[in-house]
Amino acid sequence: MSRKGFLTSTAIALSLMTGQAMAEIKFGALYPFSGQLALLGEESARGLEIAVDEVNANGGVQGEQIVLERGDAVDNNQAIGEARRLISLAGVKAIFGTYSSSRSIAASQVAELSGIPYFELGAVADDVTGRGLQYLFRTNPTAEDMGELIVQMVVEKVAPSLGKEPGDLKIGIIHEDSAYGTSVAGHQERYGEEAGLNIVTTQGYPASTVDMSSIVLSLKQREVDVVFQTSYQNDSVLFLQQANEAGFEPAAIIGGGGGYSMLPTAEAVGNDVIEGVLDADFTQYAVNTDFTPGLEAFVETYKEKYGETPRSGHSLNNYVGALAILEALDGAEDLEPDTIVEAMAGIDVQEGDTAAGYGIKFGVNNQNERASMMGMQWQDGQLVTVYPDAGAVTEMKLGN
Amino acid sequence: MLETFLQVVVNGLMLGGLFAIISIGLTTIFGIIKVVNFAHGEFLMAGMFLTWLFTTKLGLHPYAAVVVVAPVLFVLGGLTQKLLIQPLMNARDEHIQIFATVGLSTAMINLALLIYGADIANTPAYGLRTPLEFGPIRVLEGQLFILGAAILLVIGMELFLRRSRTGLAIRAVAQNRTAAQLMGINVNWIYVLSFGLGAACVGIASVLVAPLYPTSSNIGTYFVLIAFVVVILGGWGSIPGAFVGAMVIGLIDSLSGFYIGADLREAVVFGVFLVILILRPSGLFGTKQKLSHIS
Repeated sequence: MSRKGFLTSTAIALSLMTGQAMAEIKFGALYPFSGQLALLGEESARGLEIAVDEVNANGGVQGEQIVLERGDAVDNNQAIGEARRLISLAGVKAIFGTYSSSRSIAASQVAELSGIPYFELGAVADDVTGRGLQYLFRTNPTAEDMGELIVQMVVEKVAPSLGKEPGDLKIGIIHEDSAYGTSVAGHQERYGEEAGLNIVTTQGYPASTVDMSSIVLSLKQREVDVVFQTSYQNDSVLFLQQANEAGFEPAAIIGGGGGYSMLPTAEAVGNDVIEGVLDADFTQYAVNTDFTPGLEAFVETYKEKYGETPRSGHSLNNYVGALAILEALDGAEDLEPDTIVEAMAGIDVQEGDTAAGYGIKFGVNNQNERASMMGMQWQDGQLVTVYPDAGAVTEMKLGN
Repeated sequence: MLETFLQVVVNGLMLGGLFAIISIGLTTIFGIIKVVNFAHGEFLMAGMFLTWLFTTKLGLHPYAAVVVVAPVLFVLGGLTQKLLIQPLMNARDEHIQIFATVGLSTAMINLALLIYGADIANTPAYGLRTPLEFGPIRVLEGQLFILGAAILLVIGMELFLRRSRTGLAIRAVAQNRTAAQLMGINVNWIYVLSFGLGAACVGIASVLVAPLYPTSSNIGTYFVLIAFVVVILGGWGSIPGAFVGAMVIGLIDSLSGFYIGADLREAVVFGVFLVILILRPSGLFGTKQKLSHIS
């Protein structure tokens, strides 16, 4: 090789190397960005975006900047189509998503077959991790965690505040009858029985119901003390209103996520009606920040980036999951699927060390076994965290 | 026990009133134009959003919104007939009209999503959610108004169709389109008028429903199935039939929900519905099917 040739090839090789150092890696962001679920889909994606910004500012993953390629999972079919596009056309190394359980279940199937890791940061259905997929990891708490937390809250907090033994309270479970409500209600029954609770009735109803007066009457006649409801927004509003109007005043109402955490629900039923109502959900913002380090910084960054305060806890929980995963990927040797799986096994974040409070360690079926929900209560028009004690900002107020 | 039974029955009647008020427009349109309007629920949704806008922006009582909502929906209905259904009236296959209204329904839902987002909009109740107590029985003020309005609307529509000249023309067109045309009736205009009239009935329903139910872009889908059941049960096109059908469905819904269980109430409602249809295929008040659209 001539000297000139050597110099040229060295120059080319150098430029290639520096080129590689400036390279980007692509991850998919698969959420419902349009359609019925767009509001919270977008909210979830914002959490992922903030995590990516933070990691990029700290040098990216393995020295490369992360670029998010969006996929719009407007329905199950499109979730599948978009997952295929992200994997084969955009060439993403992994997919993050999805908020909606049914979209997640559909799209992760595609990723699994292609051997591309799929990180679920927000969907709660049991089946997301219940299918034994190799490349799917979930960081957020599940329907089972929700059922478990509600029962724990009754045993440890609600019953003592009412001055009763947990077993003396009559529990009524009502739930919308799709997979979501049915599975949470099933866990409530199972954990409830283990804890010795007296569950007097379990009733399902279609989420699109326009009348719950017969359910209210039935609970009233059974003299139910504590109502568990797993619901979407319209049926949460309907139940709270119709219970109030029928003069049904149980000692406690405990909702599960969905409608119960949202401000428009409180506006719909009125602050006096929703006062004291409890709710189990992902970590929200009125929480003890000693237990959730990084939450205040997250909210600040969010405000700067999007010009408003977070609209729900979805962004926070997506942020926490994405951040832990991206940091683990940074420490891995490459981004081959099997290396990623190995890196995930190494994640070991303790409770109280993330902005959502819960720790992260993947256990059976790659479900985060440290994920947990929190108990919230509506007090003076605000949804404040009251359970567990480490996350609580104030006491639970029950009874008169 | 008796008190609970009475409360369940009263709840059923109130539910019947609600089902009746939302079904009158649907049965009117079908009875005259013979078009099954699958966008019916979305007309209701549009009316409820208008009521919400009117009430929150102008600070007026939701019922006052009827002076705006009913005419706007009348025009919306008239335009639907003129621009969407009319061009398809002479299509070889009448099912095309059904697909057209299904398309309209999807388009309206997504338009509402675009404008208002997926969140719920709350129309202020202005005391309409206040429970009134009659001895041990409780009903909401707004529910009583709905029942009263449903009864008045049924009577009003019947009087209009049977006594007024326009009403007679509408019925003539409904009975035999060709003969009516030969008598000098402008059939296309009558169709536009009738669709508008049916939609205006939905407008009246929406101002009554809006203060009691949160409005959202998919609220129409909550009501539309039951409206179809009510209309089929009452006999397609019969306005008093729709009222009776609504009461029957409301009572069955409430009684089965309480005495049999919330999980099974839909099974009972639709089971009874099927039995009635097997025994009376044309519905409770239905007459022999009128085939004017092919005459």
